[in-house]
Amino acid sequence: MTGYAIVLASGKFERLQAVSNIAAIAAASEIPVDVFATMDGLEAFDRDVVAGMDFEMSAVGRAMLEAEHMDMSLFSENLARAKELGPIHVYACELSMDALGKDLEAYEDVFDDVLGVSGFLTHAADKQVMFV
Amino acid sequence: MSTEIHPDVTIDARGATCPGPLMDLIGEIRHADVGTVFELKTSDSSSSHDVPEWVETAGHELLGVEEHDDYWSVFVETTK
Repeated sequence: MTGYAIVLASGKFERLQAVSNIAAIAAASEIPVDVFATMDGLEAFDRDVVAGMDFEMSAVGRAMLEAEHMDMSLFSENLARAKELGPIHVYACELSMDALGKDLEAYEDVFDDVLGVSGFLTHAADKQVMFV
Repeated sequence: MSTEIHPDVTIDARGATCPGPLMDLIGEIRHADVGTVFELKTSDSSSSHDVPEWVETAGHELLGVEEHDDYWSVFVETTK
């Protein structure tokens, strides 16, 4: 096993934050990480969604955002910063984008490329796969 | 609380939540010479436990963790 391949299919805020935290620390620790954002997990990176904080969210997420003593970085910020520190690549799902008629310009600036499932599986071949 | 440890670099990450403080530390350690002593200030309880875990895993030396009224100081010396 030479790192983690994370399939991020959920658009739920808490899951997005958890994935970005784990991926960021792993990458900063020189553990290779590939993140494949697909379905609702990709749509969470839409610039309008992020700007409006329009995420599915439960009590934990709301508490973290509202806590005055917590200065929390958003999942997209965590991933962008991780890319400055270690071996992490973030990919957008081509199928999801095609379905909505979008291109990468619609999303936050964290993506390295657009991939289909086969492409991602090639990247994931030597990694432990995590599905979120 | 006073300390005998005299850091070369102090990183004030108070207010930031996980993984911010650790990312701050890793970012600085990358560019540090061996033997550099860091003080990481964090008000994030989880980071006060998680940063020492990372230090051990990464092979640096944890010099100590001091608890203050509203934050922790994590002291780390780079070994590589």
